[in-house]
Amino acid sequence: MNLDAAFLTALLLSTLRQTTPLLFTALGGMFSERGGVVNIALEGIILFGALTAAVVVERFEAALGPGPHPWLPWVGVLAAMAVGGLVALVHGVVSIRYRADQIISGTAINLLAAGAPSLVLTYFYGNATSSKEVANRLPLLGPEGFALSPLVYLAFLLVPLAWWVLFKTPFGLRLRAVGEHPEAADTLGVNVYRMRYIGVVVSGVLAGLAGAYLAIGFLNQFVRGMSAGMGFIALAAMIFGKWHPVGILFSTLLFGFASALAIQLQGTEILPAVLVQAFPYVVTVLVLAGFIGRSRPPGAVGKPYEK
Amino acid sequence: MGVLTDRKRLGVLVLLGGGLTLLLWYLAPWAVPHRLFGGEGVLLNPFGHHLPQGTLPQGYRDTWLSPVFYLSLAWLALTLLLPWTKAKPTALYWMGALGLGLFLLTYLLFQGSVAEANRLGERPLRRYSLGLGSYATLAYSLYLLLLARTFSPGGLAFLVRRRGLVVPLFSLLLASLLGGAMVAVLKESPGEAASLREALMLKLDLITYTYQLLYSPLVNPSGFLQSLLLATPLIFTGLAVALGFRGGLFNIGAPGQLILGAIAAMLVGVYLPGPRWLVLPLAILAAALAGGLWGALPGWLKARFGAHEVINTIMLNYIAASLFLFLISANEYKFFGQTLYLPFKYPGYEARSHEIRPEARIPHWTELVAPGGELSFALPLALLLGLLGYLLVRKSLGHRVLSALLLGVAGYLLGGLLPGPQVAFGPDLTSVRLNGAFLLALLALLFFHFYVFRTVGGYELRALGLAPKAAEYGGVVAGRKMVLVMFLAGALAGLAATHYVLGGGIDEYRLKQSLPYSVGFDGIAVALMGQNTPLGVGLAAWLFGILLTGGLQVNLQLGISRELVSVLQALIVLFIAAGGFLPRYFTDPLRAAEVELREERRKEVEA
Repeated sequence: MNLDAAFLTALLLSTLRQTTPLLFTALGGMFSERGGVVNIALEGIILFGALTAAVVVERFEAALGPGPHPWLPWVGVLAAMAVGGLVALVHGVVSIRYRADQIISGTAINLLAAGAPSLVLTYFYGNATSSKEVANRLPLLGPEGFALSPLVYLAFLLVPLAWWVLFKTPFGLRLRAVGEHPEAADTLGVNVYRMRYIGVVVSGVLAGLAGAYLAIGFLNQFVRGMSAGMGFIALAAMIFGKWHPVGILFSTLLFGFASALAIQLQGTEILPAVLVQAFPYVVTVLVLAGFIGRSRPPGAVGKPYEK
Repeated sequence: MGVLTDRKRLGVLVLLGGGLTLLLWYLAPWAVPHRLFGGEGVLLNPFGHHLPQGTLPQGYRDTWLSPVFYLSLAWLALTLLLPWTKAKPTALYWMGALGLGLFLLTYLLFQGSVAEANRLGERPLRRYSLGLGSYATLAYSLYLLLLARTFSPGGLAFLVRRRGLVVPLFSLLLASLLGGAMVAVLKESPGEAASLREALMLKLDLITYTYQLLYSPLVNPSGFLQSLLLATPLIFTGLAVALGFRGGLFNIGAPGQLILGAIAAMLVGVYLPGPRWLVLPLAILAAALAGGLWGALPGWLKARFGAHEVINTIMLNYIAASLFLFLISANEYKFFGQTLYLPFKYPGYEARSHEIRPEARIPHWTELVAPGGELSFALPLALLLGLLGYLLVRKSLGHRVLSALLLGVAGYLLGGLLPGPQVAFGPDLTSVRLNGAFLLALLALLFFHFYVFRTVGGYELRALGLAPKAAEYGGVVAGRKMVLVMFLAGALAGLAATHYVLGGGIDEYRLKQSLPYSVGFDGIAVALMGQNTPLGVGLAAWLFGILLTGGLQVNLQLGISRELVSVLQALIVLFIAAGGFLPRYFTDPLRAAEVELREERRKEVEA
């Protein structure tokens, strides 16, 4: 193992790339849980977002020809965000309106995300595992050798924005109130259900964005199961980050680093690749066991609210 | 709620159902006497057939259809009028029964017409069935019976009391409707349509045919065995999830627990020499133990550190998958430049272990039912004596179970000595790899029933699930119980591996990369559909076994991905979580009790 500059640079860039989808998703999960709704469906929503982005871009290419369309990937991104928001809305309706167990509802959407893409892929491409590769990926921004997808920058810019929205705006105050003590918020005239719906849909939009990043930023196609537990890891990162944007920034960087290290170690003779793949998951278990006692979730998280 | 409004509501509900039935009678085929490969069929409808080849099949006569149609129409008119007359709602019972009779008549006449054609024609019709139009008659009859019960005194309470059945079945119905819509969108109907009505008829027939294929294992012997084969692991994983739910924990870790069970079964089954009576039970126990320990880990993490079991069990699934591939995908690995040799992988391209020794294999179903081609009385006699032992000994539960076990073993040994008649099974049946693990699954169902509902430990477990604080106040040590629940749940999931590894459930007696550990996730749907009761879990596992078997046919004949079934499963989970979108008193026990009380009082007033 040679710890030269090239290796470290690759590790750093890889860390940023691996952190991006986790950061989007964890910030999304934060909005949902701050409003009082556990959204374990984020894992599945990433997949739906990725599928949407890849299929939309590919369909447009099939209609318009492959030739470079710089606007096209952004259409894919928007479509992925819209679908992510819609799927989250389903979770919202079932768990807010119909007072379902939020974890079961989320798991149902994750199960759906494991099966439904195959139907769509079979319909469009005749195989059940991956979509056709797209020619128009998201562009790269930055100096030669250090260029990153614009979504990477966006993810990190979202951190101060999320902080400002959550702690400095009336909206953020209401959202937190609804998640902490819905009865109190209700008596003060806050529409509990509406705030919760907004929180859930925002989380879906952000997870859809993470999916779009995976499908047309990180790769150039949808592959079955490509989220590989990122949604769950992001939730762990959110807990570890104490439901706070800055905490989440650092915790997702930790998990991103674990994933990046696993990727960089593959193909070396340091550790077997099959074992190294499990590294981020082991870190997650250890972190949850070691630190959860010291963080406190929003008071009413997971509980359906009744007027 | 006054009597008048009730009557009006009944009238409207009957009108809605009747209207839908009429629409389906007009649009959907009543019968399909011949179906071509790829799904296109000869569609018979009283308002005009759709005939892909221009004519009816040779020798086939459709004269039975119009009398049946006019009879049905008269019946439908009667049912629509009835709620607006002075007749009591119970009169609808008769209408429902009449409808069932009509359906039976339709069925018999259709079967007769096909038999007649086959007697005369040169090329016999083999792929034929009734169509959605006839099924609409059946569905409307059942709907009328349901309405009659609901609108007679105490009817609502009757439904609410059976909410454990109503919610899953209604969710299944909703999921099936949505699944049908998806089929209609995703799959072009075979055949050409001249009009909008024909296009709709083709679509409706396509959806019907898809569901006929999905449920076809019910009427076909090899499909039936195959459905039991696929149900076997689902029973185990369904119980693994259900036990967690009963104890207030959500066990999404069944896939990982299954993997650990599979690894342990492989280690004992391949490397432990010895006689069958010792090695086989040890291999099974090892699977349970390993799965149990893998399950107990997140239980302990929750009890000790408060780490949520959902995320931890999911993470442990990924870790288990890595571990499993690590063991069987190569023989040597580099660790910091050092080479580590592992003996587990079988030479060759594929990632798989060495074969399980013959002594540690779970026997194939033919060996159990008819060893050496001779029908054996061992299992039936064991079942009979075991049941007698349980029913006749009227002492404590422990005594009863013990006597049942002892008598069961005695029956097995005795039955093995009795001579039996020679039987031979066709290759389509012997090729189904159903094995003794199915019996283990049935035993697991019994274990679940006795442990959860008949022991103090099970009572504590349910108390912890229903009201954790009250349970702790009542003396349950929550942390210890949590670890125990997760251990038992993991052990059940680990046992699912015996079906694959020791029973050769897929194709070989090995641990293979193709181990379908995601059945652990399917267990969630099974547990919810089965409402966490052993009978429910058994039936739900069988239902999904049927659908998965049928899904293969759907894929072969219609080219629709088999994942249709997993989408249906996911939708069922979602809808059950939402209480089937039914009124609150179907999900909330307190409101259910209120409804029952109210109905009770109303009955008294009316009496």
